[in-house]
Amino acid sequence: MTDDNNFPGDAGMPHLDEMTCLLYIERQLDRARAQEISAHTQDCAACRTLLRALERESRLLTRAMLEEEEALPARLAHFEERARRSMQWIWTVAFGLAATGVYALYTGYVEPWQQQLEQAGFGGSNLLSLLIFQGAFWKGWQSMVTLLEILALVTVGGFALAVLRKRVRRGSALALVLAGFCITLLLQPVAARASEMRKGESVGVAADETIKGDVFLFGDRVHIEGTVDGDVFLFGHNTSVAGHVKGDVIAFAQILEVNGQVDGNVRAFTNTLTVRGTVGKNVLTFDDLVNLESSGKIGGSLTLFVENLNLEGMLGRDLLMFGKHLTLSGKIDGAIKMKGDLLTINSSAQVGGPIHFEGNNPPDVSPQAKLASPVDYQKIRRRPRYMEGHYYVWQVIWLAAFVLFGLVLFQLMPSFAGEAVADAERYGASFGLGVLVLFAVPIAALIACITVVGLFVGLTTFFVWYAALYFAQVIVGAVVGQWLMGRTRELWPLIGRMAVGLVIVRLATVIPDLGGWVKLGVILWGLGAISLALYNRFQPTLSASSPGPYTPPLPPNTTVGGIQPA
Amino acid sequence: MSAPGKSEPSEAIARARTGDADAWGVLYREYAPAIFRFCRRALPTREDAEDATMDIFAKLMRDNRILQYDQSRSFSAWLYKVAANHCWDLLRRRKTRQDKETEDVENVPLEHPDPNQLDRLIEQKTSEEVRCALDKLGTRARMALVMRYYSDMSYDEIADALGVRRAFVGVVLLRARHELRQALGQGGALAAGGTS
Repeated sequence: MTDDNNFPGDAGMPHLDEMTCLLYIERQLDRARAQEISAHTQDCAACRTLLRALERESRLLTRAMLEEEEALPARLAHFEERARRSMQWIWTVAFGLAATGVYALYTGYVEPWQQQLEQAGFGGSNLLSLLIFQGAFWKGWQSMVTLLEILALVTVGGFALAVLRKRVRRGSALALVLAGFCITLLLQPVAARASEMRKGESVGVAADETIKGDVFLFGDRVHIEGTVDGDVFLFGHNTSVAGHVKGDVIAFAQILEVNGQVDGNVRAFTNTLTVRGTVGKNVLTFDDLVNLESSGKIGGSLTLFVENLNLEGMLGRDLLMFGKHLTLSGKIDGAIKMKGDLLTINSSAQVGGPIHFEGNNPPDVSPQAKLASPVDYQKIRRRPRYMEGHYYVWQVIWLAAFVLFGLVLFQLMPSFAGEAVADAERYGASFGLGVLVLFAVPIAALIACITVVGLFVGLTTFFVWYAALYFAQVIVGAVVGQWLMGRTRELWPLIGRMAVGLVIVRLATVIPDLGGWVKLGVILWGLGAISLALYNRFQPTLSASSPGPYTPPLPPNTTVGGIQPA
Repeated sequence: MSAPGKSEPSEAIARARTGDADAWGVLYREYAPAIFRFCRRALPTREDAEDATMDIFAKLMRDNRILQYDQSRSFSAWLYKVAANHCWDLLRRRKTRQDKETEDVENVPLEHPDPNQLDRLIEQKTSEEVRCALDKLGTRARMALVMRYYSDMSYDEIADALGVRRAFVGVVLLRARHELRQALGQGGALAAGGTS
């Protein structure tokens, strides 16, 4: 904008443009320019009139906005009292439910599993650690159980601080959580030993070779004939361990044959596992077929999720099996716990501990078999779950757990939770994005896991995604609650609505036949809403420090923000 | 809001900084009506304004954001700034922002409008008509006018709240005035910048 655009005024000078006039009356010009304008308006009637009109317009605007004294609405007048009251009952309900949920979850679920697993030779572990962490690639994952426990404690601590001490700002609480996370990470034992990686169509460790440290082997055919003084990670089609592994063997393969000696544990995710050699500690496996041949020996326990198990060799401790068919001809020093279809105990079998079999068919036990006690058989009952009383108890427990989960998340991330709830009302976008995230994220996480470098990222993504499946239900609960009780943007009333809405959502998801579809819909909807909120969060917005929109040039000699004209 | 010249409740502010709920009650009673009116002007509906007012105070209390307030400056001005940020954030998230300013900013009118015609327009219009016209404006234009002419925010504060460069604030305000004149029904010639 330049004065060239202006028209000649009364004094032979160009008229002032409106922008300059506005900046003048708003006192945004520097003294020199303001004096220039002032002098000009002494002589130019048109510009003087324009200045006066703009000033009057400013006054009219201010008057129009201030004039109408709209009374404070009644619901605002009692805001504080209402907030305090609503908080009280929500606190009572939420903590009552939460305490019940935590207690019931521990005593009814975690503790029995722990006991079972301890009996099966996994002392000190829980199911989660057994399935995920102990079976994962990295030894340090075992320590992640402790990390999770510490994280949980720190989160609860931060939550309590944020709630109980108003002076502690939310940022501080979150900082505590993050600090706890960082400290715990720092305290974690890192993969102490160096690791080696080998790739190829046919890779392995030669018979005369000794590897100090862990080794990662990728190939179509992977054979270990030498010695590995560390852990072995196998990724391949046809794999075997004929040599000596002093650590653990973790395998993802079509076929795994253990013909040599493994001093540690074997964790196998394979189609067929055959043990002809010796495993010093425990074996955990997800397979189609497992053969523990007559020459095979497992010093610890054997835990399987398997179709068929032929056990002809020796097992030093307990057998825990979830599968179809167990054929036992060998020797087990510990107990047997099996849930499956069929149990066959041949004449050569020896079992030192009790045998509990929950199945569809009575066990076929040879009279010549040497058993410490008769088989305790329990037929699997096929009653609909909802016909049983404890089903409803569990539903209440789950509801309480959901409310607790939602409460913690809403308290820790009130702004984000509010945004996600608001975004959930963009139904089409939520569902569409929900479908995408539900399927795409785990695939992406899996791909990330394949590369060893992206393992942490992949697993973290997977856990976040998994947690989001639950958070999604909380978000939808909040939306349903708002439908019933009206909209709110306050935290505690929103939590109250979330609790009420969750009751409705959980009820809908347990309807026979239909409930599963409802649950899927709820997860898609909520997951999409969370993703939308995340997207909006990270969407770039205009800020003062950003390049910002185009700024037109101001008239020469104009300095916005200048001092008031004399 | 405290009237000009009226002292601010510094004791209540100080106590509120320590998390005193009663002090917050005092501040709420003192400032909520003005903040509500601000939100009422800035946001499209009365319900939005009510929600926003509650949100603003709820967040201030819950997050203890009052610790960010510089006690050497005006509390009411700071509160308006918080309210402006909240309202603008709300509008931005709803995607209702109309970015006319960023689209055709190069057409900032530089002309000399007909002062007499503008004068007549101002003369004829009542406050109520202006309020009705304000409701018809784009969100940024309305927000800018409310910040400047209701809460008397500085150009720096407006720039900060709207996320624009400070030098652009005058343009936003001028364009908002043009939109307002158009909404008042007389804008054609004036907003286009007719000359005398």
